[in-house]
Amino acid sequence: MADLLGIFGFLVVLLRAAILCFQTILVGGLIFLSFVASNDTLRPDELTRPAWKFIRWSGVGLALSQLVFLMVNSLVLGGSADISIRAMLGANFAIAGIVAIVASLAVALWPARLQKSLNRAVLVPAILILASSVVTSHSFSRMEGRAVLVGLTSLHYLATASWIGGLPYLLLTMKRISEEGIRIRISQRFSRLAQVSVAVLFLAGLGMSLVFVGSWSALYGTAYGIMVGTKVVLFCCLLLLGAANYFIVRGVGAASTSGSTSLIRFGEVEIGIGLTVILAAASLTSQPPGADLTEDRVSLHEIAVRYAPRMPRLTSPPLGDLSPASKELERKAKLAGVKVPAAFMPGESFSHPDTPGDIAWSEYNHSWAGLIVFFMGLLALLSHNRYFSWAKVWPLMFLGLAVFLFLRADPENWPLGPNGFWASFREADVLQHRAAVLLIIVFALFQWAVETNRVKSHAAALVFPGVCAIGGIVLLTHMHAVTNIKQEMLVELSHTPLAIFGIIAGWARWLELRLPQENNSRKYLAWVWPVCFIFVGLILMDYHEA
Amino acid sequence: MDRRFAIIRIIAGTAALAFLLAAGRFIEGHAILKESSPAANGTVVGPDVPITLKYNVRVDAGRSKVQLSHPDDSVTDLPLEKQASPDTLSSKATGLTPGAYKIQWQVLAPDGHITRGVVPFAVKAS
Repeated sequence: MADLLGIFGFLVVLLRAAILCFQTILVGGLIFLSFVASNDTLRPDELTRPAWKFIRWSGVGLALSQLVFLMVNSLVLGGSADISIRAMLGANFAIAGIVAIVASLAVALWPARLQKSLNRAVLVPAILILASSVVTSHSFSRMEGRAVLVGLTSLHYLATASWIGGLPYLLLTMKRISEEGIRIRISQRFSRLAQVSVAVLFLAGLGMSLVFVGSWSALYGTAYGIMVGTKVVLFCCLLLLGAANYFIVRGVGAASTSGSTSLIRFGEVEIGIGLTVILAAASLTSQPPGADLTEDRVSLHEIAVRYAPRMPRLTSPPLGDLSPASKELERKAKLAGVKVPAAFMPGESFSHPDTPGDIAWSEYNHSWAGLIVFFMGLLALLSHNRYFSWAKVWPLMFLGLAVFLFLRADPENWPLGPNGFWASFREADVLQHRAAVLLIIVFALFQWAVETNRVKSHAAALVFPGVCAIGGIVLLTHMHAVTNIKQEMLVELSHTPLAIFGIIAGWARWLELRLPQENNSRKYLAWVWPVCFIFVGLILMDYHEA
Repeated sequence: MDRRFAIIRIIAGTAALAFLLAAGRFIEGHAILKESSPAANGTVVGPDVPITLKYNVRVDAGRSKVQLSHPDDSVTDLPLEKQASPDTLSSKATGLTPGAYKIQWQVLAPDGHITRGVVPFAVKAS
């Protein structure tokens, strides 16, 4: 049970993200087949067969995610509040979870003979799946305006499924259907549905934000508000991509090979960013709404003071000024018989306030990392110019980062601290850092080989944008303060733009590599991602904790 | 091997690794305490103390727990009364002698989120 409690918070966010993603793709597929490819002419076997395969697997994924979520939550609840299994099964989340499992299995096992002609009865389990999500949302828990909020949440989920969830099926259409006329009709019908969905998504999101965020001060002063802001920025990126697709569909259309390929490539990125927004949403559902956190918000003045441009900290504080690691403190506290305070959530760790030495150490680490990333972006930008082709070695800057991390990440261990080189591997944190160093070295050499054409595989070139986008997602979903601890909030204010720049850089590079040569956007995208890196470097160099 | 699947595997593998590395940093939460009686760090008159905890959302009283930590560090369960409002838990502590106490609560919200917290307070003689 102790082990389960330790990873409970992480598991729940992960499972919620999986539930929302599978739900979006499953419901999106059923909406696509029911209302976009809405008759037998628009549903040739080359579309329905792979589409149903995708829907069925999403159903299995959703059922499994819900089952694991139910089991984990029940185990933790049973272990911490002495509740019987029978009583647990009566809880709201358990009833909703069971309904979702049954409904998703019903879709997964939907009879094959009903798939081609698509009996609309299949929308019943889809509605039940959406309903089970709505009754476990913030809206359902509210005391005031519950009915309106439940309605807005339902519309929000429905529009997300119609648009983001429908995109994989649009891509299937473009890739699998050979008849041009059908491809064009489906893409035009989807374009109309997407426009309506975008409008509904925006209006429902706006309505919910007015209640759950409630004020400008909560938008920039609370973790919930910042995540809503992030969703808005990513939503704007999606709109840009959607607009690009709109002009392809309405202009030369999906008829030309180049237009059709561009549509698919933009669609890939829309799906990627769309799923990122869903992950951000999973993170949001685990946050108390900003409107409820009225005390200890971060003010604009505090933000301005904290992030006013300052010289980066490039000199290290004395090692003696640093506090021991939290785990070390926890162990010592337990040995001394001191009671460790209960965490707000099962799984939170015991922590201590940072000393000026700790803060200086953290700023110093961020500044150096920022400097390396800044020069990496600059070299990547220069490498596009024929006079600076040598700058293609920019990935080797990662080696500098690896050396820095190896030498400086763990002050208690070799070469800085008393713990020897081999002894330091017993600490899980240190092991993680050393593994990260190894990964960075491998990645630096790999990407250098890609940039200098030593490795010519297209798949290999896509690893870098993939890592950027995933890194952004991890940064976006990690470390949210449950209550308004000002220091954590101020840190988060710098990490969120880093995440957004990472995501934009990754997908810009993806498009640059994947779009057909004839598409002019490629030359602009080639500038976007190095500039994002330069900004990441500047933000890291200006990172301050006091 | 099909190249498309190779890409998916690379990305999925990297994602799994990234999530594992970030595992320790996720924090969850939902129901937060908005008001309490006794108030946090407040002082009340004993020996019988009514307890009310009001949250920002509905809470499932049947699956929530409230305990009282006494000055000698012993802990007793506090039976919950029928909810007057879906966002409020009520109980009553009796026979409290003067000293420092803590209300330890754990609640379940309708979405399945479990949160907990502590309300320290002092009791003085009537």
